[in-house]
Amino acid sequence: MPMPPDLPNKIERDLSVGTAWLVVLATIAGADEPIHGYEIGRRLADEAPEGLSFKQGTLYPMLRTMEADGLIRSTLVPSNEGPARKCFTLTADGKRVLGSWVATWRNTNRWVNKVLGEIDVRR
Amino acid sequence: MSADERIPQQAAGADPVRVYVSQLAAALDGCDPALRHDALVDAEVHLRAAIEAGTPAERAIGAYGTPAEVAHAYRESSGSGVVVSEGASLRPLPQPPGAPPDADARHGLAAIPVIGVWAQSAAWGALLYFGGIGLALALFYFSFAVSFGTLAIGLMPTVLGLPLLVLLLASVRGLSLFEGKVVEFFLRVRMPRRAQPVAGLAQVGFWKRIGCWLRDVRSWMSLGYLVGNLPVSIVFFTVTFTLFCVSVSLLATPVFYALGLSMFRNPGDSDFELQLFGTLLSGPDGDGTLSGLAVVPLFILGLALMTGTLWVARGFGWVYGRVVQAIQVARPQ
Repeated sequence: MPMPPDLPNKIERDLSVGTAWLVVLATIAGADEPIHGYEIGRRLADEAPEGLSFKQGTLYPMLRTMEADGLIRSTLVPSNEGPARKCFTLTADGKRVLGSWVATWRNTNRWVNKVLGEIDVRR
Repeated sequence: MSADERIPQQAAGADPVRVYVSQLAAALDGCDPALRHDALVDAEVHLRAAIEAGTPAERAIGAYGTPAEVAHAYRESSGSGVVVSEGASLRPLPQPPGAPPDADARHGLAAIPVIGVWAQSAAWGALLYFGGIGLALALFYFSFAVSFGTLAIGLMPTVLGLPLLVLLLASVRGLSLFEGKVVEFFLRVRMPRRAQPVAGLAQVGFWKRIGCWLRDVRSWMSLGYLVGNLPVSIVFFTVTFTLFCVSVSLLATPVFYALGLSMFRNPGDSDFELQLFGTLLSGPDGDGTLSGLAVVPLFILGLALMTGTLWVARGFGWVYGRVVQAIQVARPQ
């Protein structure tokens, strides 16, 4: 049975589903003041490693869902360069969820690294 | 990367943001109009901000994602954000809790044909809205728009007239957005989360700002909506409230009977009789009380009429919600 053509991308695709929410929440948490969507997208695009590209257009529906879920709250901040911008901060629930996700990520990271060890896939 | 996923090529001289937004609009064809509107406003505001910050338009559009990628993220309402390689599709995610209320996925009691309407929050919301709240708001909007509008027109020969007119247009836009939120809450029709900025307001000169407000068709649409809403609300209120009152009075017949209360008003000193298809509904004493025989059919009639009333309210809500949504998502050409 031939390998599905999309299989090599499976791990990146599956990882991206969970990690995108984590990195977006972490970016909002890391900002000194309410941060707008454009700035979140810019920071994530700048930090994205080789081979991964953060498509900034996919950020906004994610932010909207997070807001509906009560993880973040938005305020409209006037801008001199154009229309008022929607800026985001974490809610108390958002901070709690982020804390739990960070712990989960660190544990998973340790576990995966331990299992992988120093394997040589060419062997 | 397939042809339709490529970053759109702009024709020479065309505004690249406008071209991108129109291609995103095409990629979102068939989506809920409010979600589509949000996606277009998000893209336009983001790309204009990036260009203002000094990023070349082509690079800003490239970083934003192809119309197909972005449309996919909105359709899923929870894009993962990361595209691993060009053309790789994002995995569909489950519907998030913040999904548009219009999806109105009915299950359980609400899925039962005809009588399921009793379990539909949209039907009760519409009953509440058209049975009073909508009319009260429509009266307020009408009074505000007409009194403010006549004041602005009356003062037009003076220096105050034009600024007042602009203030009126800005206020009715705000009221229209507020009405959208109220309609979404009661009628469960999704409204845009974002207001489309008025084109050109970045040029903050006073006269240019006034020109932008006056040229923006949505300002006039909002004004027309707030004024024209009153007669429509009166009709909806009259129909809904009348049906509701008759239904409730029929449903209350067992209570009236049990307590021996007068259900019908005695029109004079003479004995009063009420008959339906030859059956005596009023009690034997001629005092307006019910006969025991009348209670069951009147109660069943009440149930049927209330079911019909809920369907009528739901229908009004569907039509009215779509009209409000269309006004909110209108995009000036």
